[in-house]
Amino acid sequence: MRARKKIDLNTRTGINCLLMMLLLGAFVGPQALADKVALDADDWGHPGGEDCASCHEKASPGLAAEWRSSAHGVAGVNCMDCHQATADEADAMEHEGQIIATIVSPKDCGRCHATEYQQQAGSVHAEAYALIADRVPALAHNLTGAAMQAAGCDQCHGSQVSVRGDGTLDPATWPNSGIGRINPDGSRGSCSSCHGRHAFSKAQAREPEACVRCHSGPDSPDKEIFEASKHGMLYKARHAGMNLDSDSWVAGVNYTAAPTCVTCHMGAAGKIPATHDVGMRNAWSLNSPVSQRQYLIVLEDGSKLELPAADAPPRRGSEVVKADGSIGKVKVVATPERRRQIMSLVCLECHSKTFTEGFMSQFDAVVELFNAKFGEPAQAIMQGLYDAELLTPLPFDEPIEFTYWELWHDEGARARHGASMASPNHAWWEGMYLVGRNFYSRFLPQARALAGERTGELVEPWIRQSEQHAWLGQPQQANPILGHVPAPDPDPAAATTEAE
Amino acid sequence: MIKLRAPLFITRHVLFALIAGSLGGVAFVFFLLEFDHFTNTNAFCTSCHSMTYAEVAYQQSPHYNSPSGVRASCGDCHVSEGLIAATYDHAVGIGDLFKQLFGADYDDPVINLLHLPESAFTARAWFRDRDSATCNRCHVVDAIQGTRANTAAIHREETEGKTCIDCHYNLVHRKVPDQRTFKREAWNAMVEQEFGLAPGAAADLLAGPEAR
Repeated sequence: MRARKKIDLNTRTGINCLLMMLLLGAFVGPQALADKVALDADDWGHPGGEDCASCHEKASPGLAAEWRSSAHGVAGVNCMDCHQATADEADAMEHEGQIIATIVSPKDCGRCHATEYQQQAGSVHAEAYALIADRVPALAHNLTGAAMQAAGCDQCHGSQVSVRGDGTLDPATWPNSGIGRINPDGSRGSCSSCHGRHAFSKAQAREPEACVRCHSGPDSPDKEIFEASKHGMLYKARHAGMNLDSDSWVAGVNYTAAPTCVTCHMGAAGKIPATHDVGMRNAWSLNSPVSQRQYLIVLEDGSKLELPAADAPPRRGSEVVKADGSIGKVKVVATPERRRQIMSLVCLECHSKTFTEGFMSQFDAVVELFNAKFGEPAQAIMQGLYDAELLTPLPFDEPIEFTYWELWHDEGARARHGASMASPNHAWWEGMYLVGRNFYSRFLPQARALAGERTGELVEPWIRQSEQHAWLGQPQQANPILGHVPAPDPDPAAATTEAE
Repeated sequence: MIKLRAPLFITRHVLFALIAGSLGGVAFVFFLLEFDHFTNTNAFCTSCHSMTYAEVAYQQSPHYNSPSGVRASCGDCHVSEGLIAATYDHAVGIGDLFKQLFGADYDDPVINLLHLPESAFTARAWFRDRDSATCNRCHVVDAIQGTRANTAAIHREETEGKTCIDCHYNLVHRKVPDQRTFKREAWNAMVEQEFGLAPGAAADLLAGPEAR
């Protein structure tokens, strides 16, 4: 379904202009501020809200106090403003005379925060459930059990919230604040994933801790990576200067102490507007068996899609298949170069152009190294073993499937993330060193054992293909630090004595 | 000596009728008291198989299993206090007997569950119409302390214009949404899933055998 026809240069230039406007914001200046709610204050302050608060200040005082002292509470946005529902909504329920819903979805938040809702709805975060939906049966269900989907996968990726016939939310799918949650109203995501209930503090969401619940673990220990980087070191030492409570939070203007996750991935910097589309500035896919530079496709309906840049960009107006399987029409295509350019503009607030380009080239080199030396050969070898029916198609019923999974998903992704955010430890010891150890000491021996007599056809060509594995062909190259120490030359004097 | 002289119209027959009527009246009142008492018991209510489904959740609830040993019977909650009111409620209850005998097959667990929401709505309206009078047989709002910190304060300060059932429903029996947010399709789907029925089967069952 993907359009593969080349688009001519003029169209591309036009698209690029349009895209630049889109990515940079149609105007500069005020756009750099967080978007203020455009509604009139008469639109909130539901008359029933104070009754809720009066009781909840007794029934759940912690929750009520969090709200009361929040920006919402101060502005007079009350419980009912967010929790009100109409009786026909799937998860509507009667509570103390009001019709409400427990879940406040991004769509509900979007009644006031329209810009953030639109940006979030088109982000990779909103796709988090769909992105792993076809992996969950193999990992969560086969490998362990369905209970792990609710307690594990879905807590980050989001659940498909199910409302039972008796009006209750199915505990297999709720509570959940996963970032790609499929809500009963059809909207995707959960604002409280990052903006903790019921304070919804922007300062809290600007902290790296807002990301750690999910950006941790073997594949994307991004918070640890950040902490181990120079950025994290500065953030820790200079936290007092972060100005996190500021309404306007433009890097280089409102704060210069250090960047956080938000600064680079979402934050305003110079002419770059803040955005809730969190993956927009990422040129590479890092959590895949082989990294791809990716187009960002903006579709007519406002949703977005990433496609490998190895293919020709889809033509404007052509139809593409979205992550959830539905069809969308292409509106704008952002090339990975353009996405990188936007990210680099954030760097330029504090770094020189040469420095920025140098860093990006070090990062790209790690990704390309992983791809060429480990990712691509391992993928090809696995494919060969599957094609030769030496492995069953079922995932994780053979040891090498774990080996391969950990190679790219755990160690490989960690190395690439480490390089992307300048943690030497994660790039090397926690990353590429383990990739190498796995590849040479586990993956290749297992693959050769499976291939047996066919190893010359299924395994060795992929190793011989790359110069980077040529060192294996020089077994006599010794290195004293790692084991083999050559025997000393025979002592000529001793030899003479013996002869006498 | 005072001589009592009955009026002339009190003949021996009239006197006999008066005495017999009084005795009969007293006997009838005793009968009603006993009858109401008997028909308030769990044993009587669950003598219809259809009522045993209501019993399942009830027996898991604190109204059945209270640490203090207080146990509310069906009638304690669902039949008014006082001879006349209780008798009236029982008379109305004959309608249920009629439905049991001539209506849908409420003994069938699927049919029973499909009809449960309407029963729940009726019961809630009954409580509301009586200002939750039967709750107040045992519970006195001013005496409620609760186990959480502010339960007492909530019942003192937040209950104006409210009656127990407004907040405390889905307390004893199987959970049914409020009538305003009830969705028949979702309920039917839940019943179909629970009993392994084909989608749409619930609607057919509700429509009755004539529709099939």
